[in-house]
Amino acid sequence: MKRVLTYVLSLVILLFLWEMAALLVNGINHTILLPGPFNAFSQMVKNAAELWAAFLTSTWRLILAMLIALAAAVPLGLFIGRNTAFDRLVSPMIYITYPIPQVALILFLFILFGTGSAAKVAMIAPVLFFQILVSARGAAKNIEEEHLTSVLSAGATPRQVYWHVILPASLPEILTSVRVTIGLGITFLYIAETQAGQSSGLGAFINKYMLFRRDRAFAGIAAMAILGLVLYIGVDLIERLLCRWKYVKRPPTGIRLRWKRRSDR
Amino acid sequence: MIEANALTIEHGTGKRTVRAVQDVTFRLEDGGSLALIGPSGCGKTTILLALSGLLSPCSGTIQIDGRPVTRPRRQVALILQNAGLLPWKTVWQNANLSLLLSGEYPRHNARQVLEHLGLYAVRSSFPPQLSEGMKRRVGIARALSTAPSVLLMDEPLASLDTLTRERIQDLFLTLWQERRFSMVLVTHDIEEAAFLGQRILVLTERPARIKALVENPDVGSLDYRETEPFGRTVRALREALEQ
Repeated sequence: MKRVLTYVLSLVILLFLWEMAALLVNGINHTILLPGPFNAFSQMVKNAAELWAAFLTSTWRLILAMLIALAAAVPLGLFIGRNTAFDRLVSPMIYITYPIPQVALILFLFILFGTGSAAKVAMIAPVLFFQILVSARGAAKNIEEEHLTSVLSAGATPRQVYWHVILPASLPEILTSVRVTIGLGITFLYIAETQAGQSSGLGAFINKYMLFRRDRAFAGIAAMAILGLVLYIGVDLIERLLCRWKYVKRPPTGIRLRWKRRSDR
Repeated sequence: MIEANALTIEHGTGKRTVRAVQDVTFRLEDGGSLALIGPSGCGKTTILLALSGLLSPCSGTIQIDGRPVTRPRRQVALILQNAGLLPWKTVWQNANLSLLLSGEYPRHNARQVLEHLGLYAVRSSFPPQLSEGMKRRVGIARALSTAPSVLLMDEPLASLDTLTRERIQDLFLTLWQERRFSMVLVTHDIEEAAFLGQRILVLTERPARIKALVENPDVGSLDYRETEPFGRTVRALREALEQ
């Protein structure tokens, strides 16, 4: 309950800051440049049908890109992390291809996949893929030797070592990287959805209204923020389900460090 | 019976090769106990990993019950320094890891072992929820789950407080007498070696070689620590290590 209240309080503070910023910007410019949260949310309700369709389109594109990135990056990252020879071969390829801006390839992707959802997913997925790959590789490298010895001495096959040790030990780090990629994914989703002429999704919605109906555009921006929040909560729930051992009550150590103020010293 | 003959083990390749063990030979009869004692980093654990089939010697042979050791075997159980528990598995899953890996459903023995070690009530807990002493007991339960004929232990009680260590040493002794497995203990604790090892091999600094063999045949009673032979063994081990 305390957790929910903190969440609500945090959102209220954010909306308050948004409203203050809107008052300030609009006061200085004597016109409505930055719509406040009330304007944006009322537009959200008025355009619910169009916004909902755009929200669903963007959501499935982002989730599909995340799933493709996870399915490719996790097994590859874990394998690279545990196989030194393969790591030496593949790492230079990663370091060369990782910094290539996906936006630079957008025209090529449109030629390859057309201007539909496939091109958009193809643009977002590689960005997420590299982030998750690097995390999975790092996590697999840092597995405690004792855990490996433990299952090997119990007679585990290589596949069982991956399933019972390497994957679960790396999972928290992989999920942290997924959280990081949500923000990045939404940024690239916006870029992808604004680049094609006849586009759909939240990016296209925002782009369509930004010049002449800014309150509607900000309703779209708020919807994008909600999409990020929903995905964050989703990843949190998945982590609580898959990494139960991280959320168990531990025996009290009796140690509670106190932060001293300078005046107390 | 465990037989190690002229065992030499090296780590690494090329210029980075490090010899960890050199020309070590010993025998352990069925149901006997052997302790390996030596300075930290001398190669004791390497010998144990070779006995478990996880490391191959570069020369020499290891046989258990007349068969050469080439890979981990079900009847040889290994207890690691910090119990080697997987934090993401429950006490029940950790204790029955070998059975679960081989696709068998843990049988009556599994429950009996957990009850005997006072762990059945916490079978659904995860290792981070347990005290250090309990974690070591889960490690013991895992080793016993397959009813092994050989138990290998790599400093199983390191970093435990004195009282917990003595309790678990007593538990090892009781289990050894009840179940009659052969026991090989690696330790750097002189009193632990003297309490549990019928024969004690004192090893040199790296590469590990046998420096002395101390016979300690009176091992077997819980009050052995109070007796004169125990004191004599401790003195003999101290002298051998200081030489």
